[in-house]
Amino acid sequence: MDRPDTASTSGIVLERVRKEFPGGVVAVRDLSLTVEPGELVVLVGPSGSGKTTVLRMVAGLETVTAGQVSIAGRIVTGLAPRHRNVAMVFQNYALYAHMTVRANIGFALKMAGMPNHEIRTRVNQAANILGITELLDRKPRQLSGGQRQRVAMGRAIVREPAAFLMDEPLSNLDATLRVEMRAEITNVHQRIGAPTLYVTHDQTEAMTMGNRVAILHQGTLEQIGTPMELYERPVNVFVAGFIGSPAMNLLPATLDSSGDHWYATVGGCRLPIPPTARAALRPFAGHDILLGLRPEDLVSTHDMRDSEHGIIQATVARTESLGSELLVYLSLNGDTPSRPLTARLDRRATVHQDTPTRIGVNLQRLYFFNPTTGAAIR
Amino acid sequence: MIRFPTAQLLRIVVIAAILLWSLAPIGLGVLTSLSTQTDAQAIPARWLPPHATLDSYRSLLGGTGDYRAGGTVSESGAFTHALWNSASITMLSTLAILCVAISAGYAFARLHFPGRGALFWAIVTTTVVPVFTVVLALFGLLADAHLIDRKLGLVLVFVSTTTPLAMWLVHNHVKQLPTEPEEAALLDGCTSWQAFWHVALPQMRSGIAALSAIVVLLVWGEFLIPLLLTSTNASKPVTVLIPEYIGKYTTNYPLLAAAGMLAMLPPTVVALVLNRHIRGMLSGSS
Repeated sequence: MDRPDTASTSGIVLERVRKEFPGGVVAVRDLSLTVEPGELVVLVGPSGSGKTTVLRMVAGLETVTAGQVSIAGRIVTGLAPRHRNVAMVFQNYALYAHMTVRANIGFALKMAGMPNHEIRTRVNQAANILGITELLDRKPRQLSGGQRQRVAMGRAIVREPAAFLMDEPLSNLDATLRVEMRAEITNVHQRIGAPTLYVTHDQTEAMTMGNRVAILHQGTLEQIGTPMELYERPVNVFVAGFIGSPAMNLLPATLDSSGDHWYATVGGCRLPIPPTARAALRPFAGHDILLGLRPEDLVSTHDMRDSEHGIIQATVARTESLGSELLVYLSLNGDTPSRPLTARLDRRATVHQDTPTRIGVNLQRLYFFNPTTGAAIR
Repeated sequence: MIRFPTAQLLRIVVIAAILLWSLAPIGLGVLTSLSTQTDAQAIPARWLPPHATLDSYRSLLGGTGDYRAGGTVSESGAFTHALWNSASITMLSTLAILCVAISAGYAFARLHFPGRGALFWAIVTTTVVPVFTVVLALFGLLADAHLIDRKLGLVLVFVSTTTPLAMWLVHNHVKQLPTEPEEAALLDGCTSWQAFWHVALPQMRSGIAALSAIVVLLVWGEFLIPLLLTSTNASKPVTVLIPEYIGKYTTNYPLLAAAGMLAMLPPTVVALVLNRHIRGMLSGSS
């Protein structure tokens, strides 16, 4: 056998991994992804995008149809889960209901044949890190959701595994606890430093926790990058619409150029296009494009500066005050059928329902997409 | 003001009817077992025994046989021996059925192997075959193996007739259990077998309790098979012995009733103790 049993990089490496379920459903297509040691990569996507399948393939709970998985420099594609040295935190915690917290956390060590006194020491250390020392003698059913979550974390970290896998670990917690555990997991990860693959459908978790974020859609990796990269430079319409809350407004527009003046015409309004964007847009002159406007890049006319902002005319359909800011749902004037547009304005902005209003658009922050392929134009 | 709608009233009436239907015979049995033969056969009926006595129980359990009816029960201590037969057959059968049904049911529910579906349904389908249709063949088979009138023979037959149903129940039970704890165990270093032993089996505890109760009740109450496959008191269970108290010319009703009450006792205790689990398993929520 001349196949090497070591991979070039340590951490978690997936190379052209494909998963096809019986019946021909392709859950994951040719996915290549690397999680460096010490890195936390968040795998995010809508439900059914294949993110949990990816995680289960890394864990060995699901077979790989094609491609290769390696962990810490060792190819594990065909290995049973117990030989992979990975720890996983499940969405519903998957605690052993009949064991005490201490036995739950120490179970893997016991299976590995570690002497009892050493198990005890390591369980105590893990419990200490997670602040659950006083819970060690309880059974899982006597714990709250947040405490169970900590036990599940404890069970994972006590082993000092080569890789961490987390499958929507916070989705069963209430909002307050989720924020708290988010910080906690980030802390623990920094402390332990093992490469971590974290699956979620929650983009807030993705943006706040990930060193890098990988966006999966219908089994295909759409883009991987730092949270800021994804926000600032989405490669296509899907990523643009997925990252950011409220979602980016995507409006069909026509690109007109007359000499030195370039405009995107949307809903009867002409938005001047800054010179920096023109080179990439040249092939689309005179054609339709998809214009992306982030709700936070729209401003009320009071906050507008003429040099930076263009103006669109719209009618206020509905407003929602979030206290710190005002979400305004508009419909573009002169556009039939009228398209909804979301703006995130300063909380002091004065807008009136069913009234035509002028909204400023930050021209430096326009996004352009190919209307046929959905790819970003830049 | 207490509301008393028609639906509520109807409910109470129906429940009362069901209770009467199931408890009245038992009550009658208790009263009869405490009566003397004369009082039990008195016309008009004396519902409450005027001279309550434990003589029937004494003679059954003591085995001294002061008065026996019918004349077919000839050995002293026959009843206690039959109780022991019933108990040992039931315990052995239940143990064997549980071992096979739990491992097979779990395997069918969790493991992937070729022919799983076909094999599973082939086994489950046998539960609809009435035992009467195969009882002659069974007799021949056991006769060849010299297992007629042996407790082991009965145990083997019960295991083969009851295991498919038990396996099916286990399968359905396991299907409802979350798979994640077992998967967590696999990641924690377990083989499939260890994950079953250390994690799945303890999770199935209440299901197993319910299943044991169901199997105990089924096996203890078996009548036709032991009637055909036993011939002497060495292997007869209580269900087969009791009808022998009905004589051709005369029947000792208090004795018959007392025997019935005693035979009912063990399964009643099992049912009461495991009641919570049984309801859970039958309603599919345990």
